[in-house]
Amino acid sequence: MTQVTGNAAAGGELPAPPRVSAAARWGGLKAGERRVGLLFLAPALIAFATVIAWPFLKALGYAFTRYDLQTPVPRFIGLDNFRMILSTPEILGSFITTGIYVGLATGFTVLLGFAWAMILNQPFRGRGAVRAMSLIPWVLPSTVTAFVWGWIFNSRFGVLNALLLELGVIEFPTAWLSTSQGAMAAVVVTKVWLSIPLFMTFFLAGLQSLDREQIEAARVDGAGNWPVLRDHVLPHLRPVLLVVIVLGVIGNLQHFDTIYALTGGGPVRATAVLSIEVYRRAFDQWDTGLASAIGLLWVATILPAAAYYLRHLLRGV
Amino acid sequence: MLDLSSPSARVVFTLVLGAIALFLFFPIYWLTISAFKGNAELYRIIPTLWPSAPTLDHFATAFGRGRLLDQLRNSLIVSGSAAALNTLLAMYAGYSFAKFRYAGRRWTMLLLLSAQVFPFGLLLISLYPLVTELGLIDTHLGLTLSYIVFALPVSTYMLYSYFTQVPSELIEAARADGAGELRIFHTIVLPVSVPALVTVFLYGFMWSWNDLLYSLTLIVSEDKRTIGPGLLLSYLNEVNADWGGAMAASLVASSPIVVAFAFLQRWFIQGVTAGAVK
Repeated sequence: MTQVTGNAAAGGELPAPPRVSAAARWGGLKAGERRVGLLFLAPALIAFATVIAWPFLKALGYAFTRYDLQTPVPRFIGLDNFRMILSTPEILGSFITTGIYVGLATGFTVLLGFAWAMILNQPFRGRGAVRAMSLIPWVLPSTVTAFVWGWIFNSRFGVLNALLLELGVIEFPTAWLSTSQGAMAAVVVTKVWLSIPLFMTFFLAGLQSLDREQIEAARVDGAGNWPVLRDHVLPHLRPVLLVVIVLGVIGNLQHFDTIYALTGGGPVRATAVLSIEVYRRAFDQWDTGLASAIGLLWVATILPAAAYYLRHLLRGV
Repeated sequence: MLDLSSPSARVVFTLVLGAIALFLFFPIYWLTISAFKGNAELYRIIPTLWPSAPTLDHFATAFGRGRLLDQLRNSLIVSGSAAALNTLLAMYAGYSFAKFRYAGRRWTMLLLLSAQVFPFGLLLISLYPLVTELGLIDTHLGLTLSYIVFALPVSTYMLYSYFTQVPSELIEAARADGAGELRIFHTIVLPVSVPALVTVFLYGFMWSWNDLLYSLTLIVSEDKRTIGPGLLLSYLNEVNADWGGAMAASLVASSPIVVAFAFLQRWFIQGVTAGAVK
């Protein structure tokens, strides 16, 4: 690793040797630093191994076994679970449903989160309060979020139907959560609402480092809002935008709570994204083997976005 | 940044502002006033925009019949312990990554952070048998330990980026004075890192308080349920949903986290955007 830590560089001189135990010093400076470093790391590493790494590897293994209510001890069956997935249209459909859900939710959140950040970056009275309030959807318990939107989308007494009836957009109340498209719209809207605050926060942080003089110079040259946005703001936000999209895709691919609470994956399978599909297979039908195999493919869909995100986080480490 | 001197720009700005504000804030408003409406007023095709006869009936039901107090207490126990455990693990690991150089450090960090992107649902498949084998199924301890999955990676990263900004000279000076490594960390580094520790505690607390997936699966007994599945199973019943009670209970269940967040939001935002935006 060629990179020096920022602090050592700023300090201007080499750090003094860390004081460590005699045994460690005997092994030399490097060994001492390593020993103390690993000691600090150990508790987290043990926890990681127990509740994250081990379960993950076990699930990987289950994917190649038959392990269900009739087979209480996992039995190796090679790629049978994957063959099963390929020949089951419902499971394959889950991948498409997931694609639609992730695409819509991520797209709208990026768009609205960006617009909201641009607005909150503009000085106006009461901006601080509005900014703080904008974060509320993000911190609500998922069940509460699902209740709020379930009540708004309610077919008989929901305020959305009331509004659309009053405006004359519809003639009869719509049973949003009982139709495929209505249910998909509801789960997407709910997720967008819940994620706008986080996305807005990232965009606002990115906007803060924008060079104001550069924009003022462009203004003097007669640039309007659109050219400023296109030539200065968006290029500057490109790295943030990429991170936000990747984080959004990862988060939406994983999301379970509000979908489960709102529709349970239904009606029929209209909102059965992969998280719901895996959960149903594992904890309703207790088919652990098949659930793990679907989960493995699910991880594969997250992997590209994850690789990008991790590389970004670890640059300069 | 935007030039709003022309009337048309102002109109567009105001319209977009109004539309997004309505989308973000109306549901919160609706949740709040619905909790205070009596049933006669709640179940109307064209609803009122303000409760004409505000009532606390739904809150009384929520606390009485809905086991809300039990669920709040359970959530407080589990989320509090999970947040404390998470902060403890993350602070030592973050310090190790920030201030020590050793072979494999980058790889370990990558490994730890990668947990953030494993689907929680997939981990649950094999966590479930593991927790059962350990006899921890349907216990608050089992749920608390499982919650490490959610917050540890990001928490470690948040504290790592905070600790890199703690001047190494402080640490070197203490070493020169003969202080041991643990002592240095506890008496010199931690006291100047309180904002970051509070942020990480709140982050872990928020994840566990708001979770549905794990608490729904790993807790079975009604008296041990936390608020996520507790609310869901108490109120959302297709045949006979009690929306007033659901709204009142939701308000109560959200208030601790919203209040905590209101006080700490500035630190929180810095922590969460650390690293991702630079």
